[in-house]
Amino acid sequence: MKSFWLFNLPRHRYAKTGYWFVLPYVVFFGGFVAYPLIFSFILLFHRWNIVTPMEWIGLKNFERLLNDPLFFKAILNTLKFLLIHIPLQMIIALGIAVLLNSKLKFRGFFRAVFFLPVVVSGVVVTILWQQLYAFDSGLLNRMLTAVGFGRVPWLIDPDMAMLSIALMATWKNVGIYIILFLVGLQDVPRELYESASIDGATRARQFFRITLPMLRPTFVVVVVLSTIGGFSLFVEPYVLTGGGPMESTLSAVLYIYNQAFYFNHMGYAATLGFVFALIILGVVLLQRKVIETEPTT
Amino acid sequence: MKAIAKYAALGLGAVVFAYPFLWMIASSLKPEAEIGGFGLWSPHFTLFNYEQVIERIPLGRAFLNSIIVSLSATVSVVVFGSMVGYALARLQFIGRGTLYAIVVFTMTLPFQITLIPQYILMVKLGITDTYLALVAPTLMTAFSIILFRQFFLYVPQALIDAARIDGCSELRILFRVIWPLSRPVVITVSLLTFMSSWNEVLWPLIVVRNRSLMTMPQLVTLFTIGGEAESLLGLQLAAATLLALPIIITYSFFQRYFIESMASAGIKG
Amino acid sequence: MSRGYARKTLLAVSVCALMSWIGCNNPRGPEGAGRSEVVELTYWPAPNPQEVQLADTLVRRWNRTHPTIQVRMQSIPVSQSTEEVLLAAIAGKTTPDVCSNIWPGALHEYTRAGGLIPLDQFTDFDSIALARTPRDLLEPFRSEDGHYYQIPWKTNPVMMFYNLRMFEEVGVAKAPRTYSEFFAAAKKLTRDLDGDGQIDVWAGERDIRPIWWQRLFDFYPFYIAASGGKTLFKSGEPDFNDDAARIVFQFFQECYQQNYFPHTYFQGGDPFLLEKKATHFSGPWEVATLHSLAPHIRYDVAPLPVPDDYAGPVYTSGDYKNIGVFGTTKHPREAWEFVKYLLQAEHDLLLLLTTNQIPVRGDLLTNPLFAEYFRQNSKMVRFAEQAVSTRGVDAAPDLKEILDAISQEYEACAVYGKKTPTEAVNDAFRRTKVIVEWNK
Repeated sequence: MKSFWLFNLPRHRYAKTGYWFVLPYVVFFGGFVAYPLIFSFILLFHRWNIVTPMEWIGLKNFERLLNDPLFFKAILNTLKFLLIHIPLQMIIALGIAVLLNSKLKFRGFFRAVFFLPVVVSGVVVTILWQQLYAFDSGLLNRMLTAVGFGRVPWLIDPDMAMLSIALMATWKNVGIYIILFLVGLQDVPRELYESASIDGATRARQFFRITLPMLRPTFVVVVVLSTIGGFSLFVEPYVLTGGGPMESTLSAVLYIYNQAFYFNHMGYAATLGFVFALIILGVVLLQRKVIETEPTT
Repeated sequence: MKAIAKYAALGLGAVVFAYPFLWMIASSLKPEAEIGGFGLWSPHFTLFNYEQVIERIPLGRAFLNSIIVSLSATVSVVVFGSMVGYALARLQFIGRGTLYAIVVFTMTLPFQITLIPQYILMVKLGITDTYLALVAPTLMTAFSIILFRQFFLYVPQALIDAARIDGCSELRILFRVIWPLSRPVVITVSLLTFMSSWNEVLWPLIVVRNRSLMTMPQLVTLFTIGGEAESLLGLQLAAATLLALPIIITYSFFQRYFIESMASAGIKG
Repeated sequence: MSRGYARKTLLAVSVCALMSWIGCNNPRGPEGAGRSEVVELTYWPAPNPQEVQLADTLVRRWNRTHPTIQVRMQSIPVSQSTEEVLLAAIAGKTTPDVCSNIWPGALHEYTRAGGLIPLDQFTDFDSIALARTPRDLLEPFRSEDGHYYQIPWKTNPVMMFYNLRMFEEVGVAKAPRTYSEFFAAAKKLTRDLDGDGQIDVWAGERDIRPIWWQRLFDFYPFYIAASGGKTLFKSGEPDFNDDAARIVFQFFQECYQQNYFPHTYFQGGDPFLLEKKATHFSGPWEVATLHSLAPHIRYDVAPLPVPDDYAGPVYTSGDYKNIGVFGTTKHPREAWEFVKYLLQAEHDLLLLLTTNQIPVRGDLLTNPLFAEYFRQNSKMVRFAEQAVSTRGVDAAPDLKEILDAISQEYEACAVYGKKTPTEAVNDAFRRTKVIVEWNK
């Protein structure tokens, strides 16, 4: 049906209705997708603070971007975030999902609790963790000092701050991935395990030989969603650290936000957004390719 | 033995995920000097922090704003999303394949690229600091269209044909015949749209600077990072609790739907 | 939302314009066009209460004595920065005739948008300006094209406040003049009072966050002091990759490394008011604050410390606010008359009395007109003395962002000690160049 639509001229009166039905979307698409895309392209070559007229500056925005240490810092920070967040997320989510997938009382209760941080606003989670992470009076450091450890400079140390944010993000989002893995686990055909048991395979062997390979599609989803999430990081550093210390938590979106709304550089901010978008698309495509073609072990 | 270990692990996990919230609620009810203790109980529970927050920022108004914005986004996404989804799934017209390709393309488009021009569009239309600016970019989502289309593809053709023979208009067919059959997808789209709209912070921060139009998460964010909370922990926690409560209450009633929605969305996305 | 306000301002202004047009025309109606043509000027002062009060008094007096040039005062909405409002007004052609709250750092953007008229087109500019302000203080406000688009009005020199009780307690008799003296004093001043291993009182403290305007109270005035009055730019090009910048970074790095300054924020209020830090770098408004909030604190004010081998007058930076006439004015000559009125000596006295800010004039301590004020406000004498060696900010494009970049390098070097002063100054300089190039 799909491929022959061109020859499939309106055979009946429902064609007109079809146009009416999609009209609102076409209008919406024109206004909020197509126009911004085109305008974004125009902005790439301009310097503009909105109030005074736009100035054509050729490729200067790109030239500046290549010489802008904060742009590279933001990418590096995002990569750092992803490198900590994704593996941590997968291990915890998969572990809990496996536990939840076994015979269990109160499964609904546990599932609901793990999912709770997902539904709550990122602002709430961030304010809460700000208290947990506080250096002198935070709950975490009080616990550590109570059992005889030193205080950890969660958000103060430039080398630690991103790790702390990644930990917090994992806590907030892991519920989604638990559910995704749970769905994935339930899709694994029982017979596979049964025949493996008959062959004398241990539980661990079954996990590595059957479960993990069967979960590959779920891994793809988890990695891709986390990557997109990592590049969208905004509220957490905005509230928690303002991008500091030493710009170690400056995220891509926070940097775009600052350039656009703190320094009024609309053209440069649009250029940053454009390049970040290209990077996201590139990374996601690459990830899909790598995970999907990885040989089964 | 194994069972005990399993329950212990899950129990520990549950504490890690739930205790911070309980601590937040309890601490928001404590006097400033007692915040920071591990325990939940205090002999000096007080509503002082809440009184202060409500006195300092117009949270009631913000709550109303958030409800207005999230509900209009949700209604619009569900109504228009299902219409487009239906057209793409069941109606034939020239350009259908192209349009579907466009919808899919839109979904893969990172928002970072359209953020600034969308804001400029609001400025040019002169609608910054209005409800319209708050909802406009979320009135329709590619994601909802795809979910609806996917679901509608499996509605039996016979049902639609029967309704057409009865002389029903396509709108009537969609809302009277197909919708009742599509409760799961309608609930999924509604919940996800409502939740993401309710929790959105970046867009409101960009288009609204008039306090009486601010959404709840936006107002709480600015309250925390601006000077108004005077780095008083109790006030910040009280504001956070007030922001979390509506969603937590909704979640406790519709917990199953939330989880299932997220699962189905994640898999299709 | 700036645009929202801008639109409202625009609306308000056009309504006012319309009403004044009606107001202008009506009286003329019956009598015919008389010679009594009244010129109307709009004047924007800074939005803080003291300055609005000052402006109100001045405008009232003016209107009484100038029936043919009537001035209307309008205040800028408090909710947003003057720079934003002025830029929006320039774009919307709704600028006032005269504004006395022009931050020299934003001047570049105003003139680029064609917002201001050169004041030196008036033949008496030189005599008026030089009669009030020494050439040395005036020169930095000349734009790259050789014209003056602004005339310096008032300033707030940054100086070192120090707590006399705390200094006496550790046996330091006078304010440290050089870095070495400062470190020697700091070593004694930073103390653990109750013996719990935690420092309770500090030699000094600065907000460590890399926010651009915070550097106007540490790096920037110290740089000007160390360089003998140099600012960051020279004829439109960044010019701070020098020993002065490195030595200032070094100085603050030492302050943090030796723990003379705390690495975190203070909770619970201003540590100088709480007597938790012995020195404080701030401007003359602090005198009024201390007077009303902490009258028990004994303190004095001194010039900023300078490098050990520095000789000559000690310079500092000040937050200048200047007067300009906007291009939208239909009556430049009348506007200039009003500007001259604002700059008169008795009005500078009124400025001192109402706002405790320092008028940019050379005769503050010699003109008998001001003697009584300085006799009653002895601490303000120090600021008046300092005012002749005070520099503002350069009129560079995106100065805010440049100071932000410097702040980040300062944070890396001074606060966290992760870069040497040479690396940090190099990086700050390189980043500034990128911003300046992009703006060309």
